[in-house]
Amino acid sequence: MLKNLLEGKPLRHPIHPMLVHFPIGFLVVSFLLDLVSLGFPEVPNLVRCSFYAMLFGVVTALLAAVPGFVDYSDIRRDHAGKATATRHMTLNLMVVAIYGINLWLRSSALTDFKISLVPLLLSLIGIVLLSASGYLGGRLVYDEGIAVGRHKRKTPTPQDTLHLSTETAAKAGEAIFVSVPNAEHLRNGETLRVEIERQAMTIARIDNQLYGFQEFCTHRFGPLSEGSFHGFNVQCPWHNSCFDVRTGKVTNGPAKVDLKIFKIETRAGKVGVLLTKAHDQKT
Amino acid sequence: MRSLLDFLKGKWLGHPLHPILAHVPMAMWLGALIFDLLSQCQIGGNAMVRLSFYAIIFGLAAALVAAPTGLVDWSGIKKEKPAWKIGLYHMSLNLIVTLLFGVNLALRWQTFREASEVDRIPLLLSAVGTLILIISAYLGGRMVYEYGISVARMSKKKWRKLAAAGGANLPPE
Repeated sequence: MLKNLLEGKPLRHPIHPMLVHFPIGFLVVSFLLDLVSLGFPEVPNLVRCSFYAMLFGVVTALLAAVPGFVDYSDIRRDHAGKATATRHMTLNLMVVAIYGINLWLRSSALTDFKISLVPLLLSLIGIVLLSASGYLGGRLVYDEGIAVGRHKRKTPTPQDTLHLSTETAAKAGEAIFVSVPNAEHLRNGETLRVEIERQAMTIARIDNQLYGFQEFCTHRFGPLSEGSFHGFNVQCPWHNSCFDVRTGKVTNGPAKVDLKIFKIETRAGKVGVLLTKAHDQKT
Repeated sequence: MRSLLDFLKGKWLGHPLHPILAHVPMAMWLGALIFDLLSQCQIGGNAMVRLSFYAIIFGLAAALVAAPTGLVDWSGIKKEKPAWKIGLYHMSLNLIVTLLFGVNLALRWQTFREASEVDRIPLLLSAVGTLILIISAYLGGRMVYEYGISVARMSKKKWRKLAAAGGANLPPE
């Protein structure tokens, strides 16, 4: 519940990207005020202004960190964005530490008319690291689609990809059965992200039935294992394309191409997916 | 012309520009309101009055830079999409907010150098402006997180590769 709150699900908008406006804005303005104090040393209070702006920046950074950690913990472990997110977090922690020292250095010289060299340099380093970190954070959203459409999903998303392999080598055109033990435990609206023989697929339970379909949306390749379900439709979290999980057919755009679907069967008491190996194409 | 549009869309950076630039007015103007309130509580004296004034000016400058990048992003959305209308509201509200803070700044121009607290009317303008701005920023965020505007726009090739490697049906290139 607290997790949903910190992920901004009731607001239908993630919280972390809302809060980060403030550390970024205030820390940038603090640096600008430092520069102004160098250019116009006759203007009073600039150094004090810069200190307040920095203080606001650090306090709001600490606030933003909380939903940030939650967002981070919700990224699938093998997601390409996870490494970017780790870098983003590490840089942010460094930035907060640097500004902590910076504040402490400044606190004894608030009545100065010109900022002195060491705090100014610390601010410069801080701004550079913060810009790099902010950029990485933006890449997480705009490249990796992290937190995009997350609020539409009611159940938790897969934390990892399940890698399975076929035990017997199949001849072209032959269907082979691969058991997926975890699928039995899925509850309605939950999904598994599975990779078998270079086929990435989502296995979902809807209305007490299991369905298998390709993981990547056919529009911009959003993760359907993180999608939401409406009746027998899966909705891509990114641009809201809908597909019927029973047939793979597009039921709502922007996607135009149908999904590949996989048959889920029970054989000898085991739940698994039927894979038909296409003619031996080398990809 | 084409290259100017690509520049404003942030292709050179691999990241849309508008959401980067939008941080500054958002933070500055909410900051200005907070500084105004502190100043009304007799905290900070003239330093707070000046800080608020500088925050409004930095916010205005950044808003003027952010506006064309937003306009370009919006023009790329098809008119029949729900995000187009939200974008229109977002833009209209932003224009109102920018105007309000413009007037706000003008009212402070004569007094910010000496005043030890912010007057009522500028304070009120900061409050109204910030309130509208929060609504507008929320709408801007909804365009991204609900409708996926600018999401996977520049990483399309990378995702296509991943999808192809995962055996997916793909759209024609």
